[in-house]
Amino acid sequence: MRIVIAEDVALFRAGLTRLLEDEGHVVCAAVADGDELLAAAARHRPDVVIADIRMPPTHTDEGLRAALELRRTRPGTAVLVLSQYIETRYAASLLHGSAAGVGYLLKDRVADVAEFTEAVSRVAAGGTALDREVVSQLLAASRHAGYLDPLTRRERDVLALMAEGRSNAGIATALVLTLGTVEKHVASIFGKLGLPASESDNRRVLAVLHYLKS
Amino acid sequence: MSATGRVGMAALAATVVRAPFTGRARREILFCLLGLPFGVLLPLLGFFVTIRLALLASGPPWVTRGNPAWPAIAAAAAAAGLLTVLLVMTGATRRLAAACRGLAGWLLGERVAAPPPPRSGVLARLSDAAGWRAMAYLLLKLPVMLFELYAVGVFWGAGLFNLTYPYWWLSFRNHPSQVHLDPVPVVTPFDWFGQGHFQIATFPGTFAAFAVGVGMVLAAPWVTRAAVAADRRLIGGLLGPGPLAQRLRDLEQTRALAVDDAAARLRRLERDLHDGAQIRLATLAMNLGMAKKKLGDHGDVPDAEAARELVSAAHQNAKDALAELRELARGIHPPALDNGLPHALATLAAGNAIPAELTVSIPVRPTPAIETIAYFCAAELLANAAKHSRARKITIDVTGRAGVLVLEVTDDGQGGADPARGSGLSGLAQRARTVDGRMDIASPPGGPTRIAVELPLRA
Repeated sequence: MRIVIAEDVALFRAGLTRLLEDEGHVVCAAVADGDELLAAAARHRPDVVIADIRMPPTHTDEGLRAALELRRTRPGTAVLVLSQYIETRYAASLLHGSAAGVGYLLKDRVADVAEFTEAVSRVAAGGTALDREVVSQLLAASRHAGYLDPLTRRERDVLALMAEGRSNAGIATALVLTLGTVEKHVASIFGKLGLPASESDNRRVLAVLHYLKS
Repeated sequence: MSATGRVGMAALAATVVRAPFTGRARREILFCLLGLPFGVLLPLLGFFVTIRLALLASGPPWVTRGNPAWPAIAAAAAAAGLLTVLLVMTGATRRLAAACRGLAGWLLGERVAAPPPPRSGVLARLSDAAGWRAMAYLLLKLPVMLFELYAVGVFWGAGLFNLTYPYWWLSFRNHPSQVHLDPVPVVTPFDWFGQGHFQIATFPGTFAAFAVGVGMVLAAPWVTRAAVAADRRLIGGLLGPGPLAQRLRDLEQTRALAVDDAAARLRRLERDLHDGAQIRLATLAMNLGMAKKKLGDHGDVPDAEAARELVSAAHQNAKDALAELRELARGIHPPALDNGLPHALATLAAGNAIPAELTVSIPVRPTPAIETIAYFCAAELLANAAKHSRARKITIDVTGRAGVLVLEVTDDGQGGADPARGSGLSGLAQRARTVDGRMDIASPPGGPTRIAVELPLRA
């Protein structure tokens, strides 16, 4: 996979490059601000772009804006934004319209190499990768409001992983269940919460998130 | 005379010659003229009231022997007193004061804040300090106004008029030589009404008048400035907010500064954590995660060399993160301060890039808040000196006397420290102001620089 990285702290940028190259991906360019990111994406046409949200010059949301710009101008490019803190507004603007090929993860997630690379691959393949911190915030709100009462404990775990954007197979691996069990849980969840059926995983994410936010 | 002396004299001469033509001179003349009504208002009013009353009371039994009797005088005085009180109570003096302030602001650039509005109620209006101060100003305005009139009328008016003597002598005094005419008086600052000490009878004499006129016009702006300065002092002292209101404004200002300062410090702290320690720890976690992979789950190690390298990198990340956090903590509150200011300053001086000599003499220990402010002031001043001054030696003197802590930082560098350039020094001054302290800077270009921060012993 061809990847472009945007991260202003050199130490982290080098570490991320090394991590991805060790997994066999090609890092076409590693840049340090939003404008350079757009230029590099135009030049190299990567499969996925990994961008830090906070970059120079203003250190607010340069990376996010560049990512949204990329989604607009190059819809085929997958975008994974990294941040050191969760801002639900950013998640909302990224997922606006479509959740295909979008990811929003905390930088903490790179500590687990396998999980991180799996998320990168999922996003590059057109799926979704939402950080479990974002999801747990949303789930907490819904649970407090009582929306999730009809679900069993296991079903809530499956719901959380669905909201993160994982496929059924990914959920099965994470919870150590069989694929069939997972599919049964998913169907039960959709039935109990009255969610519309959706064909693909990323549409599923949108449906779940929409439900959780309302 | 040395070269600088000559240059100085030339510059002085140029200023004097140019002074009558400056905008400032014109504005001050206008101020004097427009201020006339304020000066004559009260005397006229008072005169009108008292004399009218005295005249009204000119029939018996008020008048005896043609002079007003004491009852008439008493009545007139009472009326004048009542008039004064009425003027204050109705807020008329305040409005006049506002007009004076406006005039001063427009023409002189003297911005004096308005006093706070009066409280409602008869008693409050009667004891309205700002109103009474405005009345005092209007009373004192009369002598000041006379001085201003002297400056404008005599120096400017008569001076300009004296310049025209040669002209109209030629135009009007060209009678045949047999006709004898009286000598013409010249108005000078020393005898205004031309009582005749300076009189001219010949045409060449008019040039003497002309010369006097030139002198007067050259001196005029300075005399006007003096008169206007007196007026400005009065306006500033009497028409502004009283000491309590001024103090309130000061407190509100410094409170706003303190709140902004605190918010900015927290933001900086968050930035430092985010960009420093936090990301170092994220990199450390990443390196260890990769190392785990290289070590494999069990059995043989797939890539020992890479694993060793990654673990070593992670180790360095951890050490760097520790150092960052230690620096950050010191920036929030240096632990040495708990032992007192002298110890903390000793650590600061010892660790400074430029050798710093410290003398401390604080008989009464200040409150911790003051010690913290003093410490951070010293730290910032030392950092400034290290960055800008190119000094070879710095001395830090800390003395406590009469309820005040004085921190003096002197360096033998190149001077030129200016609070206007860069916000470091002005920020320090503001921080000192929030606790009613102050900062004095003596930093001529070429050095040496001496900055003294005075703080009360308890905030």
